[in-house]
Amino acid sequence: MRDALTVLGLVVGAFFLLVMQEFIPPMGFLSDARVNLIPVVFCYGAMIVPFPLMLVLTVAIGLMCDFATVQVVGGSAEIGLGWSVLFYLLVGLICQGLRPLVLRGHWELHTLMSASTAVLLPALQFAMITFRRMEEGGFFYSSAVTWKILGPGIITLFVAPVFWFALTLVLGRRTGFQRLREI
Amino acid sequence: MKKVNIILAVVVAVLAIGLTMLGAGSIVGAQSGFLSWLSPFLKGGAAVQQGIGAMGQGLKTLDQLEADNRRLVTENMELRASNQILRDMEIENNRLRVALDFRERSLFRLVATRVITRDASTWWNTIKINRGFEDGVEAESTVITDIGIVGKTTTVSKNEAIVLLITDENCKIGAYVEGSREKGIVSGVRVQNSQEPELQMNFLSKNANLQPGQKIYSQGVGAVFPSGLLVGTVKSFRQRELDGQAILTPAVDFSTLSDSFVIVGER
Repeated sequence: MRDALTVLGLVVGAFFLLVMQEFIPPMGFLSDARVNLIPVVFCYGAMIVPFPLMLVLTVAIGLMCDFATVQVVGGSAEIGLGWSVLFYLLVGLICQGLRPLVLRGHWELHTLMSASTAVLLPALQFAMITFRRMEEGGFFYSSAVTWKILGPGIITLFVAPVFWFALTLVLGRRTGFQRLREI
Repeated sequence: MKKVNIILAVVVAVLAIGLTMLGAGSIVGAQSGFLSWLSPFLKGGAAVQQGIGAMGQGLKTLDQLEADNRRLVTENMELRASNQILRDMEIENNRLRVALDFRERSLFRLVATRVITRDASTWWNTIKINRGFEDGVEAESTVITDIGIVGKTTTVSKNEAIVLLITDENCKIGAYVEGSREKGIVSGVRVQNSQEPELQMNFLSKNANLQPGQKIYSQGVGAVFPSGLLVGTVKSFRQRELDGQAILTPAVDFSTLSDSFVIVGER
C-alpha cells in the first residue's frame, strides 16, 4: 500500500513537473538545452518500488512524456506514442537491477542513472528525427546538438541528489542507510 | 527475476509497441485530451507568470488602466494584422487585375490569441496558445501577427492549440521574393538558436543573387498559408550545386511573442 501511494505521488509529481517545465525557459548558456526533471522522478521510483509498481510508473510517466512531446505534422508523427514507454521500460529494468545497491545506501546511483537517462532521451529523439528527415534534410550536426543532448544531463547531475533527499523526506521513505541498519 | 515479472514486462513492452503503431488521428485525439487535462494548470501557470512579469508595472498604474490598455493594444494589433492582410491583398489584387483582369479574394476572420507556454521539447519549435476548437480554431490553421507569419496549428484541443512555428524544420511555406519572380520553399533549421533564429529558403534558381534585406512573402500554394503574408527578410544568399539557398531572418520576433491571431476562415 505504501509503495502504491509512493508511485501515485510520483506520478502526480511528474505531472506537475511537466507543467512546470513548460514555463522554464531554455538554458542559453547551454545552447538552449531544456531542463528535463522527469528522469529524476522516474529513476527514484524505479529504484525504490517493487517491480510491478515500477511497470505502472513506466506506463504512466512514459505516456505523459509522449503526450507532452509528440508532434503530429501533416498527418504523421515523427516520434509516435509509446516510444517513451519503451525507453523508460529499459531504464526501469536497469534501475531494478541496481535497486539492492540503492537500498544499501548507494544514492549516487540514482544521480548517475537520472543524468544518463536525461542525456540518452534527447539523443535517441535526435537519432530518430535524423533518420526520419534523412531524405528531406539529410544529416545535420552542430555543437548545439551536443549541448542540447548533454545539457539536461549536466543539470540533472546537480538536481538529482537534491531531489533524492527531498523525495525521501517528503514521501516518508526510509533512506538506504536506515534500511541497512535494519538488515 | 520472477516469471510473473518477466511476463508483466513483456506485456508492457507489447503495449508500448502497439501504441507506436497508432495512426496520426488517434494520436491527435489522445494528445488533445491530455492537453485539456493540462489546460487549467497551464492557464494558471501562465497567469502567475504574467502576474509576476506585470508586478512592477502594476505598482505604477491602476489595474483598470492596465486592463483598458491591454484591450486597446490587442484591438490595435488585430486591426494592424487585418490591415496588413488587406494591404497585401490590394497589392496582389492590383497585380492580378492587370494580368488576369479579375480575381476575387475574401477577407479573413481572425481570432486573437495569447501564448500560454513555449514548448519544453528539445527538437521541435512550438508554442501553446489559449484558443481551441471551441473558438473555431482548427488543425492546420495559419497563425499570424501584425508583422507576419508565426506558424500553423497542429493539435487542437477544446481551449488550447499547439502551434508549429515557422522556425521548425517541419513547417514548410511556399514563398516568393519581393520584386522578383524567384520562388522557393521556406522552412526552419533543425536546431535553432532562440536568440537568433533563422529560416532557410531552398530551391531558388542558382543565379537568383538575392540581396540582404529583401522581403519574402508567402505564395499561397497548399491549403494552409494564404498568399502575401510576410515570412522574413533575406540575411544571406549562397549558390549550391543545383540551386540557390537563402538564409532568412523571420519577420516575427519569437522571443517576445505574446499575442497572435489565428485565421479561422473567410469573411
